Order: sequence, then structure tokens, then C-alpha cells
Amino acid sequence: MRMRVGLSAGMVLALLVGCFPVWAGSGSRDEGGPQAKEMESFSRLSDIPLPLQVDDVPDRPALLLELGEPFLGTGPFGPEIELPTGAVWRPSLWVFGTHRMAVQTADDGATRVSEWAHRLDLFANLKLSASERLLIGLRPLDRENRFTGLSVEPDGDFRDEFNAVVRTLFFEGDAGEIFPNLDREDTGMFDIGFSVGRQAVLFQDGILINSGGLGNPDAVSLVRNNLQLPGTSNVRISGFFAWDNVYRDDNQLDPDARLYGLFTETDFSFTTVDLDLVYVESGRDTGDAVFAGLRGVQRIGPFNTTFTLNASLPINRETPQTSRGTLVFNEISWTPSHTKDFLYLNTFWGIGEFSSAIRGPATGGPLGRTGILFAAVGLGRYGAALGNRADNAAGGSLGYQMFFNRTRQQLIVELGGRTQTNNRVVDGDAFAAGLRYQHAFGRHFVVQVDTFGAVREERDPAYGARLEWLTKF
Amino acid sequence: MKFGAVLKKAGAALRQPPVLLGEGTIPIFKVGSLLLLSLLIAITAVLLSAAAQSIDYQGEDTASEAAHRAVFVNNRFPSAITCKTCHEDHYREWSVSPHAYAQMSPVFNAMHGTILKRTNGTNGDFCIRCHTQVGTNLGEPLFISNADRHPVSREGVTCIVCHRVNRAYGKESGRVKIVEGDLFEPVYGPTGNKELRRVLESDEYQVNTERGKTGRAIHADARKFFALVKPGFCGTCHDVNLLNGFRLEETFSEYKTAPAAGQGITCQDCHMGTEPGRPSKYAVAPAARIGDVETKPRKRTGHMFPGPDHSVIHPGIFPHNPEAAKLAAIREWLAFDYEAGWGTDAFEDAVSDDAVFPERWNSVDDRYDAREILDRQFELLDEYLARRKLVLQAGFTLGKVVTEQADEQGIRFKVQVKNGTTGHGVPTGFDAERLVYLQVTVTDRDGKVVFQSGDLDPNGDLRDAHSLYVRNGELPPDPYLFNLQSKFVIRNVRGSESERIIPVNPSFDPLPFIRPLTQSSILLGRPVNVRKHRMNIEPNGSRWAVYEIPGSRLTGNGPYAANVKLIFGMVPVNLINNIKEVGFDYGMSPRDVAEGVLAGHVTLWERDVAFHVSAKDGKAVR
Repeated sequence: MRMRVGLSAGMVLALLVGCFPVWAGSGSRDEGGPQAKEMESFSRLSDIPLPLQVDDVPDRPALLLELGEPFLGTGPFGPEIELPTGAVWRPSLWVFGTHRMAVQTADDGATRVSEWAHRLDLFANLKLSASERLLIGLRPLDRENRFTGLSVEPDGDFRDEFNAVVRTLFFEGDAGEIFPNLDREDTGMFDIGFSVGRQAVLFQDGILINSGGLGNPDAVSLVRNNLQLPGTSNVRISGFFAWDNVYRDDNQLDPDARLYGLFTETDFSFTTVDLDLVYVESGRDTGDAVFAGLRGVQRIGPFNTTFTLNASLPINRETPQTSRGTLVFNEISWTPSHTKDFLYLNTFWGIGEFSSAIRGPATGGPLGRTGILFAAVGLGRYGAALGNRADNAAGGSLGYQMFFNRTRQQLIVELGGRTQTNNRVVDGDAFAAGLRYQHAFGRHFVVQVDTFGAVREERDPAYGARLEWLTKF
Repeated sequence: MKFGAVLKKAGAALRQPPVLLGEGTIPIFKVGSLLLLSLLIAITAVLLSAAAQSIDYQGEDTASEAAHRAVFVNNRFPSAITCKTCHEDHYREWSVSPHAYAQMSPVFNAMHGTILKRTNGTNGDFCIRCHTQVGTNLGEPLFISNADRHPVSREGVTCIVCHRVNRAYGKESGRVKIVEGDLFEPVYGPTGNKELRRVLESDEYQVNTERGKTGRAIHADARKFFALVKPGFCGTCHDVNLLNGFRLEETFSEYKTAPAAGQGITCQDCHMGTEPGRPSKYAVAPAARIGDVETKPRKRTGHMFPGPDHSVIHPGIFPHNPEAAKLAAIREWLAFDYEAGWGTDAFEDAVSDDAVFPERWNSVDDRYDAREILDRQFELLDEYLARRKLVLQAGFTLGKVVTEQADEQGIRFKVQVKNGTTGHGVPTGFDAERLVYLQVTVTDRDGKVVFQSGDLDPNGDLRDAHSLYVRNGELPPDPYLFNLQSKFVIRNVRGSESERIIPVNPSFDPLPFIRPLTQSSILLGRPVNVRKHRMNIEPNGSRWAVYEIPGSRLTGNGPYAANVKLIFGMVPVNLINNIKEVGFDYGMSPRDVAEGVLAGHVTLWERDVAFHVSAKDGKAVR
């Protein structure tokens, strides 16, 4: 079997390497169009008339189910309801989602997994107005880390994870829009957005909070946006309270946990700053804790940069759910001259044992943004090449994303590594190389090929390869 | 039971799978799972077969079909030309307005087509719904030439888009319902029926309010629609939020938190008054002229709505002009070479007898007729551009210029740009594609340029990261560039976020799809993978641009003079380059469009400053 896996990975690599000259020949230089004179710079905008390419622009693909007005479709609008508050609602129900199916094999050095796995993300959106809606979401083919499909190795069985557990169910709206008659002069005093129910949350790029779709908390939020304070272009402030279904840093449900959050995002002319503060109140076993995140996103010359600092501080004592630590995380990328590609360099430094405030099942640790080698694919048991926990660790990734065929094909090549900064070996020192190729077909499908190889301290090498078919509807 | 406990119990119920839908050990549910997988395979097959089908658009109507269709459409959505009969002045102002230009713009059409293409059609009618309410109501194809659209569709935000709306929709991103009906159906206005009733009861006006009868046809009812005079009515289109949570334009939301809202100053006060961009008085004039008889003077709002956009297309097809439309069709007008002087004495006297013209313009009389129309068009366009400059000047002001250093070590100075309005940030609305930049040129005593910023590359772009000349290494970037343009930003698959001219993210996904956000768009304020980094100036706020000229670049031939210009541009030329993949309407080339855009760059304010470089003590002297 090991030989077969090696051969599969080798064939994938050979295919990708073999295709590379063809893609590279397609070129991605940005040009101003065909020139009337040969001596003109290719940067010069073309003088040659370009008639409308009507056939190049696709029609709107319908959703799986559209009741009421079609989603972003033409035609007259349907019946409306005027509420006693003065709001006008035009209900429409839209069902949409994605189906992912993969054939994959991976060996983490201890266990080899080969499987055919499925995941279905299904949503029904009841649109009431442009700002009010109810969203319900299911993941009927997977639960926790178990996915419907055929497991070839190690057990050899068909796994049936069919379920109707509601993963997402929330209402959101804007008080000013629901009660327009309270502010007939449009002074904005009631422009307070809110969401209530089971909802996905992601803050600080998933480092501080990442519910991941399966671990969405039951929560309520109040939001004030579009504040233009002196020296700023926009400020958003959100108050957040989660009363149930809170998954902690160990990816496990903490039935006693309640979460209080204050999330802000501010646009300055030179940067966007996210400052987030969270307090988790829980039982004696899992522990209370305070969390904070600060993130700045800006372009410095030709470089795209993100600098992130997150910290966790248990109130009483450290527990498996909460420990003391700081995570410094930086991302830099730039577009090499004459291309439209991205070259990126991401680094992290975990000081102590940083823990996230919310980590849903299947979201692993907080380092997924470091690179494709650090993130699980979110389908089946095909894990990350490199550990994504940040406890006393440092490391990074260097990657290159290439685009072909007007971005409908792309290739990511990445090198990554991590080391422990203390004597305790958790994930160990490790180095990995990986590759991802994606190709969009038609208007609904994406084929994705991944492969990686990793060498790790005190453990056998790991490797994996997979082929995924994704359908959007 | 306490509220918290109730919520907790509800949450627990959601978390637990229903009894019948257990762990999959019951055979029936293994079958259920297999059925679901079969269903997915069937859906995939259907999608695959649908993908193989081509777009089925029937193309242009025959002449008779077109005539019938025109009558049919006008019975549902009356043309502005119908309103012009009695509201001549309103029509004239509207005809050159950005509302009238909304659908005619080749830049809009190409951008809309490009976004559709890059989102695999999933952006649907989102962009075009506002730009041609009538066209989208009629179910016209999303992307075709305006020459192939119904004439009322081409009118963009035409009269009925505001005056046949009878509900306060709020921030609906333009998805408002037009009350259908012909001319005789009621219209909605700010004052109601009083003056109309007087007209109907008077013998003076000789009007007809019934179908099939003779006389001047007019609507029998003008209903008062309170919301029409409130900012919220403007907000139905001027707050543009996509259903995936992307906040494209937020003018109305900005207004609601701005000082003007608290002071009771409305959008209409600044944008429909006598002085563009300032809370001025309204004109007092008749609302209508029926035959030769005017109605009683009343508050008369302006309908030109001067703003950042301006026409880049042939003057025969814009401003809207019934006479022009009667003389020639769009494609015929496009063949009329007005720049060569057709229809002027200078040209016609000099043209040789064997000169070849397009068939429609073979007759010299027709060319003179066309020129006569064009002269009036140019006059109207000039009037619009003058008012456009006024509104932009009201929005942006040049503040202080402060010299911080002027000695042998170099010159350091800073320039202040201020928001001149209390109504919203500036730029606002489509601010990610608006240029507001400082062009600074410093010369020595002999006029030799020692420093430049805000200059344009040969395409007419600023030397920023999106200039083709900069991207391709033919020109250096402008490190001191001051530009208030907000930026579309995408979250790369890894490696921070990067600017993007078109707000579609291919880095995260080779098949970008627009679908409702699966998280709370209100809580996050935006989708995770694409956003707008707003960089505008808040009301009452200002920004400083700082410039440094090292001593090595000084020629020693002082004093030095700085010329500072605050310039506004409708869109950057790099946008033209990015949307050219779907072509341009009216047979235009990318350069044609770019030159039209550049012709509208307007210097709002200009300042000259002298730097007397001190050789000894280094003390700055202005």
C-alpha cells in the first residue's frame, strides 16, 4: 500500500510538472491590449476598438431552490408586506450550498488513511429585506470529524454520518430598518444592527475565534457601523454575547461556557486595525479567561502586510481549555513584477501556550493561516502536514500562488517548517513541502489536487495526496 | 423559567440530533445517506448539462415587433419623453444628469460585465438593477449593447424610478418596486394633488385624463409621498450592500451619522437646491407648463444632480434628446464624426465633392441638422460640467500649506485637504473608484522640475500599484502620492490582503460565486474574503500630505516654487484596463474611454507656494 501511495503522489507531481510549461507559456503579464503600432509599449492602452464580448459573459445560474423573487434575477418584484413599523418586506427563500467529494490518502507517520469522503454544506436563506434575513444551515453528511463515505484504510467500511443537526440558525437585521417610523428624519439614532441565534464567528483571522461551521455558538450581537470618528474613515463596534454551544481551545464543547466579546474594526487611511476583547466565563474545570487580539492590515510599498498579536490569560488557573500565552503572527506577500501572482511569507511565534477563545471541531489549532501545510482540508481525515498548535513554537511558510487561464486555474507551491521553542515536544520540529492545484470547470465545478511530504523530529515522515471535486449550487 | 435558561434549552435542542436521525447504525439511514448522495450526483449532472447550454437571447426585434413592444412597454413604464410634454425644464436638467447617464455609461457596462464574468454570472442583476430599473423589470439580458435595449431602459434612472415608487424601502440597494401603468396612472410627488386639481378643474389648460380621448394627456392624480423628500429615499439606491455582505457604497449610512443629519440638512437640500453641494435655498418656479400656460410657482427642486460622473460618449446619444433620437439611431449617430467638424460651415465649405460619408449622413442638410442638435447638446454638457465642478468644490477644499523645512538639507512641506461638507465622508459612494489627488510640482527659479508627485503615466494613470507602466517596471512608483481613493481589498489565500481593482477574490477560490453570506454580515460588517478599505475623509475632518525633497535634488537656483493642485477624476484609467476583457459599448477602444475619462479630470483648487532656501542657519522661510 505504501508503494501505491508513493506512486499516486508521484503521478500527481509528474502531471503537475509536465503541465507547467503549458501554463507558464500562457503568461500573466498585464497588458494594455493589442497595439496598432508595433513599437508601442505593451503597457499602453489600446487604440483598437473592442466591441462588447456579449457571449463571454455568462447568464445568472439559478440556485437550487428559489421561492419568491430569484436571487439577483431580473423581472418584476413579487408581493410585499408593509409591517406596522413601516418596514417593507418582500420574503424570498433561497437554498444553496456546496458539495465536496474527495478521494484521498495520507500517512501521518503512525496511521495511514485512505478514503472517499463527502461533505455537504446546505443553507436556506429566508430574505425579508436587504438587511433582514433568517439563515439556516445544515451539514447533513458529517458531524464532528466524521464524514460520510468509504474508509479504505485503516478500517475498511462505509461510514454513514447522515444527520439533521442544525449548525446555523440565526436572524439578523437593523433596528433602524425594521422600525423606520421611529426615525422619520433619518438621523440614524436607531441604526443598530443585530444578529441572534446560532451563527458562525471568525475574528483575528481565526486565531482568536474560529467556530468553523460545526461549532457555531448560540449568540446575540449588537453592532454599530459607519461611525466616522475624527481621523478615521470608518469604525465598526460589535458587542457579542454567546450563551451556549461554545467550543473551547481543545475543540471540545464546554457546556458551561458563556462568552462576552467586544469587537472593533477601524479604517485609517494607512491601515485597518482590528481590536478585539473577549471574556469567557465557565465552570471550575474549564476555567474563566480573558483574551485579546490586535491586528493591523496595510500595504507598505509593494508589500501586503498583516501584523497580529493575540494573547490569552486564564483568570485562576490553566486548564486544558485555557492557558496563558501570546501568539505573534505576521503575513507578508507581494506580486512579482510582470506577473499577477502572489509570493507570500508568513511567520509565527508562540510564546507560552496561547489558547483561542472559540475553536470549533475540525478547526484544529490557530495556525491555519500560516500556510496550506498548516491547515486541514476540512474534509475527511486528511490532516495538516504540519502541526497547527502554537504552544511554544515558531515557524513559517514560504509560498507562491500562480494564476493561469484568467485565474480559473491556480497552483500553490509551499515550503513550511516549525520548531519547538522549549524542551517539551508537542508537534516537534518539522519541515514540509506541499502543492495545491485548482481548476474551475464550467460554472459550478472545481477540481483540486493536493499533495505534501513532511519530515518530522522523532517521527516517521508523513505524506499525502488527494483529489477533490467541488460543486457549487 | 429564566430567559437565559430558556435560550440554553433551545440551544441544546438544536444541538441534539432528532431521534430518528441517529448515528447511522439503522439501515434505513444508510439508505437515506445513499439517497442524498444520489441526489447530489443528479444535481451535478443537471448542472453539467446546464453548463453545456448556450445563452439563448433572441436578439433584435423586427420593426413591427419593436413598435408593438414600444407601446407595450410605455404602457407599463412611461418614458421621460412622455413627462417632458409638460415638465420641459425638469426633463432638460434630468437629461444630462448622472441619473440619465447611469445605463448609458460604457464604463459602467463594462464593469458590470466584467464582474458578471468573473463571478460566473452569479452577480446577476445586482449592479444593473439600479442603473436600468426598467430594463431589469422587462427581463432584458444582463449584458447587451445599449443600442439593443428598449429606449426607456436606456433612460436609466428615469422619471418613474422615483415618481412611481410609493413605499419607503430603506436600504434596499435599489431593489424597489415600480408601480406600473401608463401616463394616466397616478404619480407620486412631494406636494400632492392641490395644484393638479386646480389644473384639471380649470378650462385654461385643456387637458385630458382618460385613455382614448383627445387633448393633452396628463395623469389625473399626483399623490403625496412623504418619503420622497427625505434622505431615506435617496438611501434606497445610495447605500449599496450586496447580499453576500459586501458594502460597496455607504453614502446614506455615512449621512445618518454625520453632523448634517442632526442639523436637519437633507440630501435634497444640498443636491437639489440652487447651489450645488451646499445647503442652499430651492428655486421657486412652475412645476409644469401645459401648452403655453404655466402652473403656479412653487418650490422647484433641481433634477440635474451634478456629481462626480460625466459623459464620455458621443454627444449625439447623450444627453438624452428626443430630437436627436428622431434624427438618427444610436449606431447612426456613432458614425457621425463631429470632431472632424461635420455640419459646420468650415468643414462643409472645404469638403471635396467626392468625399464619402456613411449612408445616413450623405446629405449635407442632415449633417447641418445634426450639428444644430449637437451645439445644443454641447451647451447642456458644459452647463453640467460647470455645476459638477461646483459640487466637487463644495466637497473638497485645500487647507493649509505648511513649510516645515527649507534649507540646504532639503525642503519639507505638507498640504492639508479638508472635507468641505458635513453631510458625509468625501469621496463617498463609489469611493473605491474615485480619484481625489494632489498634483505637486516644485521647480527652481529657471523652471526646472526638482520634484513631482501626482503626475500621470502615459495612459493617464497615477503612478500607483495599479498603473500598467509601474507594474511592468517602465516607470517608478510615486512614493509621495496623495490620493483619497478607497481600495477594494481581497484576503489572499495566504499572505495578508491585497488591493484589487475589481472586488472579486480569485486568490481564495478559482470559481468566485456570489451567494448569501453564511455568517452574520451585520456582525462582521463584510464578507471574510473581500472588503473595502475606506480611506475617505470624515465630515469636518482633514488629511495631510507630506512631501520631502532631499538637498541632493535641489539645484541651488532658488527660490523654489511649488504648484499644488487638488484634482478630481471620475475613475482611474487602470479600471478601464481591468474591464476591457468584455469590450466597450459604442465601438469604443480602451484608449477612447480613457481619454474621455481624462477629459473630465478637473482641478478643484490650486495654490502656489515659494520656498526661500536659507543657506546659513537652515531656518525655514516661506
